[in-house]
Amino acid sequence: MAIRRLFVANRGEIAVRIIRAAQARGIATVLGVSAADRETLGAEMADRTVVLGPAAAAKSYLDERLIVHAAKATGCDALHPGYGFLSEKPALAALCEEEGIAFVGPRPDTIARLGDKMSARALAQAAGVPCVPGTDHIASLAEARAAAERLGYPVVMKASAGGGGRGMFRADTPADLAAGFDRASREAEGAFGDPRLYMERFVTAARHVEVQILGDGQGGVVHFGARDCSVQRRYQKLIEEAPAAAMPAPLRAAMQEAAVRLCAHAHYRAAGTVEFLYDVARGAFYFIEVNSRIQVEHPVSEAITGADLIGLQLAVAGGEGLGLAQEDVRFDGHAIEVRINAEDPRADFAPAPGRITRWEPPAGPGLRLDTHARAGYLVPPFYDSMIGKLIAHGPTRASAIDRLVAAIDAFVIEGVRTTLPLARFILTHPDFRADRITTRWLEETGLPAFAAAA
Amino acid sequence: MTKTPTDRHSDDVAFIEALAGILARNDLTELAVRRTWGEDDSLDVRVARHTTVAPAAPVVQAVAAAPATAAASAGPVAAPAVEDPAQHPGAVTSPMVGTAYLAPEPGATPFVSVGATVAEGQTLLIIEAMKTMNQIPSPRAGVVRRILIEDGTPVEYGAPLMIVE
Repeated sequence: MAIRRLFVANRGEIAVRIIRAAQARGIATVLGVSAADRETLGAEMADRTVVLGPAAAAKSYLDERLIVHAAKATGCDALHPGYGFLSEKPALAALCEEEGIAFVGPRPDTIARLGDKMSARALAQAAGVPCVPGTDHIASLAEARAAAERLGYPVVMKASAGGGGRGMFRADTPADLAAGFDRASREAEGAFGDPRLYMERFVTAARHVEVQILGDGQGGVVHFGARDCSVQRRYQKLIEEAPAAAMPAPLRAAMQEAAVRLCAHAHYRAAGTVEFLYDVARGAFYFIEVNSRIQVEHPVSEAITGADLIGLQLAVAGGEGLGLAQEDVRFDGHAIEVRINAEDPRADFAPAPGRITRWEPPAGPGLRLDTHARAGYLVPPFYDSMIGKLIAHGPTRASAIDRLVAAIDAFVIEGVRTTLPLARFILTHPDFRADRITTRWLEETGLPAFAAAA
Repeated sequence: MTKTPTDRHSDDVAFIEALAGILARNDLTELAVRRTWGEDDSLDVRVARHTTVAPAAPVVQAVAAAPATAAASAGPVAAPAVEDPAQHPGAVTSPMVGTAYLAPEPGATPFVSVGATVAEGQTLLIIEAMKTMNQIPSPRAGVVRRILIEDGTPVEYGAPLMIVE
């Protein structure tokens, strides 16, 4: 049964994006907002807006009872959670299910299963998808040496009982293992009351790659190619691109196939992303986790495939099925997205909320801007600082970079500081141009170079 | 660029007077304008001529201030009035979206009625969201002057529920 009225349980640019996708399909929209977001672009576009609670997200965007109550009270038959907030909380999906509202996302049990690292890893292994090679508990130095020979140096030893780096050390040689083993055991014992350690292969040069998939919930799954999101600071992505061009094509194809296999095995419903770590030196990929929602960077996949991923989410949630097979997904060119955050990259990324006094976005072939910002918009201090995403598509990676740099140069934003100057710096850096960066590149090389260039 | 509060106030008065003029010239009965300069910085004005029929929506009903000034037949005299009960100093507003209930259960005696004296913290009504009952306490000791919603009314965050002063 196709969706007639959709409740949008999010804010910012993704609320605008979801409302547009719904409108294109003739679906009425109700937007749930906090008191701080009453007069936003999304609130103007939606057929109706309901004020859920005060500005604090815990009393508005993060309260599934208020959201589902508002969805029911306004006669909605479906709910889109966007990303962040409650999008990956089984409680919201479960409450929607109880109330007969179609949740635009996976089933609650799927979300719970993928949300737990251990059960997600078990699922990947059951589907024959490679995880970072590692061991079970290691009881002695002799056992550790044997395991390291098998896995190949460098390796990392971690405490079985905890995280936070305690009991953890990297070993590049057997001598490193001998030097660190006893101390790490004692540290683990002291910190967690459990001296046991385990070992994983250490990936020296890693790239963050991920596969966009869409499942029908019956085992039917198609993928929309791979993205590379290696430009990160403290695990926050700044620049994303598609395809993951740094990966050799046969390896990328194998990874895409593995992502489809995993999601088919889980009878995954809706859009999702399977994240992998790409070990550049070994030419291998390892499963990290599944994000059971639409992601911020979905537009780069849309750019190279021409698909409307949010529209497809709505079709699947409305019971219309995928409507396309893998061979219908065609790939064309290269796309890059930069996130525009209201943060000062020259002041340790301090949030820079405030009123946007000028907002003159660029236009041109291959450009897309997803945003809720405009002149006069007050960037509120309560939420994520992202105010937009600028995406450039071109026939080649080089042309996409050129278009994006030109677009950043033409973009006039006044009133708030943004991360665009940093994005421009990265895009024009020789390492990015040559596509030889890793997940540690920005923090180790990019940011120091940016600071020095100031 | 920033205006002082005094500037803003006289601007507002001039603006309201201009609206009253438009109302009179065009023989309208009501005119509402919302101007937003920013968050927590807006002006809500409703200019109305007194009519005998009360508006249907309960929340819009005006506090009938100084009715002596204008009878309906007295010609185009506009009475400027800021109407939003949420702005009333005694207003109790909803802390969330939900359904308002005036009694603890259907058919039971309401928590309070107009004219009742209430203590600070005394339950005035319930806002229900997904079967969670949230008792709304009186923010102050006083008298219930008005009840702005009916039993079972859907309310949003910030909606005025009662006036207690």
